Amino acid sequence: MNAWLIGALALLAGAFAPAALLTARGEPTDRLIGLEIGGVVVVLFLLLLIQGLGQPSYLIVPLVTVLVSFAGTLVFTRLLAPTADER
Amino acid sequence: MTGPAHIAALVCETAGTAVVVASALAALAMRRAYNRLHFLTPVTSLGAPLIAVALVLENGWGLTAGLDILIVLLLALSAPALGAATARVLAQRAGLIDEDSPS
Repeated sequence: MNAWLIGALALLAGAFAPAALLTARGEPTDRLIGLEIGGVVVVLFLLLLIQGLGQPSYLIVPLVTVLVSFAGTLVFTRLLAPTADER
Repeated sequence: MTGPAHIAALVCETAGTAVVVASALAALAMRRAYNRLHFLTPVTSLGAPLIAVALVLENGWGLTAGLDILIVLLLALSAPALGAATARVLAQRAGLIDEDSPS
């Protein structure tokens, strides 16, 4: 166990858990904010985990995660926008 | 690895992790979505760069540090766009703006 793995554990317990809780309750838009925070926290968690394990070849995973979570969240914002008859 | 660079890396990592955890807990405590949305910014504008600095200090300049910086840069660039898109949806659903208004 080194400092990087301890940091990764702290992010998992202290930041990803609240984000998951935000994603699990409330209005759809509240959940979307939880999803955004969770997406960012997962990327940082992966960075620390990879550093702690000493496997820089895995860095492709957070790199792809950043790009895919950005696009995915934008799709959610598009789907959550009210349609003409809903207004 | 030991020495001052390693200690500085651990300090930056601890600070970055603390900022991220505090922001996520604060977002959980907020009642309104608009207030909650603000707490994405410290994570990507302060916490993530601190963690990136820690990783660069630990690894030294190279491909690994370059990838770390690229990932954190993408985070810092994508978060404001997501925040703006989410705030826009919140305003539309609250009826504050029309769907087709550009502003």
